[in-house]
Formats: sequence, structure tokens, C-alpha cells
Amino acid sequence: MSYVRTVEAALDRASRIAGEEATLVAELQAGSEGAFAYLLGVYQTPVFDLVSHIVENPSDAADVLQDVFVKVFRRIGQFQGDSSLKTWIYKIAIHEASNHRRSWLRRFRREPVSLDAETIGPPIAQSREDTPYQMLEKSERQALVRRALASLASPYRTVVVLREIEGMSYEEIAQVLGVAEGTVKSRLVRGRELLRRKLAGYGAPSGII
Amino acid sequence: MFESCLEIRRHFWDYLEGECDRSVFRSIRYHLDYCASCRMELERIETLKNDLDTLPARRVPPELALRLRVKLSRHLHQNLLDRFLVFVDNALKPLLLPASGGVLAAILCFALIMGSQIIPAASMTDDSGGSNQPPRVQMLAPITFPTGEEGIVVVTHIDAEGRVLSYRVLSGSYSPQVLRHLDRMMYFSHFQPAMMDGKPTDGQVVLSLRQITVRG
Repeated sequence: MSYVRTVEAALDRASRIAGEEATLVAELQAGSEGAFAYLLGVYQTPVFDLVSHIVENPSDAADVLQDVFVKVFRRIGQFQGDSSLKTWIYKIAIHEASNHRRSWLRRFRREPVSLDAETIGPPIAQSREDTPYQMLEKSERQALVRRALASLASPYRTVVVLREIEGMSYEEIAQVLGVAEGTVKSRLVRGRELLRRKLAGYGAPSGII
Repeated sequence: MFESCLEIRRHFWDYLEGECDRSVFRSIRYHLDYCASCRMELERIETLKNDLDTLPARRVPPELALRLRVKLSRHLHQNLLDRFLVFVDNALKPLLLPASGGVLAAILCFALIMGSQIIPAASMTDDSGGSNQPPRVQMLAPITFPTGEEGIVVVTHIDAEGRVLSYRVLSGSYSPQVLRHLDRMMYFSHFQPAMMDGKPTDGQVVLSLRQITVRG
């Protein structure tokens, strides 16, 4: 009985969210400036983070972010609600970032890029139990993860980012990338394995590699 | 169920996400009970997974967020009227506060300056309510003398203390005898001096004198 209630509650919440999103989409399609301001407030940081993981040069993420939202603005009239707004925006973001990455690679393929130059915020304690030493250790581990992630081939990196960082489901990732769910799963397995190999010795008892 | 550690490790990510079958889950748990190497590997993957999950998001720099809003606003107001209205709005809004402050300050200054210029009615010495007045006759001496039918018109100069300085006959017939009577009349009459800005000053008063005889 309690299971039924849980499912009903989940469905109720999902339909409420869908209703709220439909209202937002209607306002966006009507050209409401307030709705666009809200959209930017909600999505600019996750989209910026996602794009930063995909483009080769992190400083290009700013240009890509602007292109993404201009496209969202121009195409919002065509949004039919086949997927969630988040999935639709992420699809545009992945497309823009991949295009930008391809053109960047054509121009600067032979120039080495320092991944150390990227700016990462100060370590933030994830829980109250984190000591300064643990925070520093985690921050250094995450810097390694970032580098390893950036060195993955684009299809694997994108899937790993969408799954492990953005927390999207296989179905959502398949919609964003326009591929089958099976492809998403196989890329994810491969991506995780590559990441694990690149981080050999990671998380060893000594803490820092 | 699993032949080797290598095979079982392929399922660690799903195991941590709770997305593997119940039988797979049980096999992994059983394997982990006696395989220290796999336990260590699982811990590494768990740490990696946790670090990926809590990787700090890159924040959008404030200037980029502003640039983005401006760019979208431009796209939103693409027709000329909209753009003009936005331009006017943007141009006037920054001026609104200083302009309002300026107008209020001007009104305040005007009120202060004008307030100091106005003389309160209570401070005026003039009972009639005016600050500038000509001299007036308070009491004419009761001296009678023949003026003829047409009478005599005299202009009299009064000083700041109400005394007659001089007089001049403007019209009418007069004789030395009439002039003596006039001298006496001027000497014994009382005048209120002229007032200028509430202060007594010199002035002139015109007197028209005529002797009226009533026959009974």
C-alpha cells in the first residue's frame, strides 16, 4: 500500500513539475523577458559547466554559452515538449560545444594546451566532517579527475559527464545525444574504464598520488 | 557466477548505483567477502564516483552573465520601437534619481532663499499693512482765514519726524495776510511722516484749503 502511495506521490510531483515547465515554456514562447531571466538563472551554470567539460579550451566556454542561449531563444518556438526542457537545452549545448570543439581542433590541433591553466574554484567542504586536510586531498584528487576526464575521447567524455556529473538517466542521455540507449551504455562502460585506467593508483590508501 | 575478478569488476559501477540484478548483487557481495583486491578496487571506484559527483561546477563569471542577459535582451527587442523604448528606459533610469534629487534640492534652496526675503507681517511698524506710505495730516490747526471762492492749494514738505520743512502755494489768490495765517497753520498742524520700507522718511503732502460759509 505504501509502495502505491509512493508511486502516486512521485507521479503527482512529476506531473506538477511538468505543469510548471509547460507554463515556463509558454511564457518563453510568448517572449517574456522575465521567463528568460529565470531560465538563465536556472540553467546558465550547469550549461556552462557542461560546455566547459566538452570544449578543448575552457576559456571558449563563455562564447559557446552565449551561442547556446541565443539558439535556445531563437528556437524556443519550435520546442514541442517531446523531451524535458533541460534535455532540449542540453542537446543544443552538446551540439554547440561539439561544433566549437571541432572547429577549434581544425585550427589548433598541433598546438599544445595546458590543462593546468584552467581555473577551478577553491575546494568546498562537501560535509561538515571534512577536515582542511581532507578538503585539500579531495581538491587535488578532483584536479586529477578533471585532467583525466579532459583527456578522454569526446564521445566517452560527454557520456561520462552527462551520467556521472549531471546525473542524467540513460534515456535522457540518449535523447540529448540522439543515439540509442545501448550506445550510451557501451560508451559509458568504455569511458569509465578509460577513466579508471588513466587514474591508476587513484584513491590509494596513501591518499595523494 | 563470475569466473574472475576482472569479470566481476565490470559490474562495480552498476553495483554502486544499485542498478544490477539481485543475483549479480549477491554474487558481488559474496566475492567481496573473501577478495581483498576487489574490495580495494571497489573503494577506488567509489571514491572516483564520489569525486566526479561532487566535482565543483565552474561558475559563470558575473560579467559573462551580464553580457548574456544584454545579448538576449537585444534579441528579444529586435523591432525598432521596442529597441527605442529599451534605449529610452536605459537612458532615463540612471538619470531618474539624480534628476529627482536635483529638483528637490532646487525647491529646497528656493524655499530657503525666498523665506529669508519675506518680512513677517508682525514685524512691520505700519498699522495699515503697507510698508510704503505718503505723509498724512494728523491734525490741521483750527485757524480760519479768507481763501476766496476758488480756495488755495498748497504743497507741503514734511520731514521724517512729521514737521513742516517748507510749503508752496500752487494755486489760489493769496496776500501777505493769508501767508501769515498759512505760516501759523503749518506751525501748529500735526503730520504723520511718509514711510519707506517701514521707516519714516521725508515726503510731500498737498493741501486744498477753502473757507466755507453757511448762511442760516
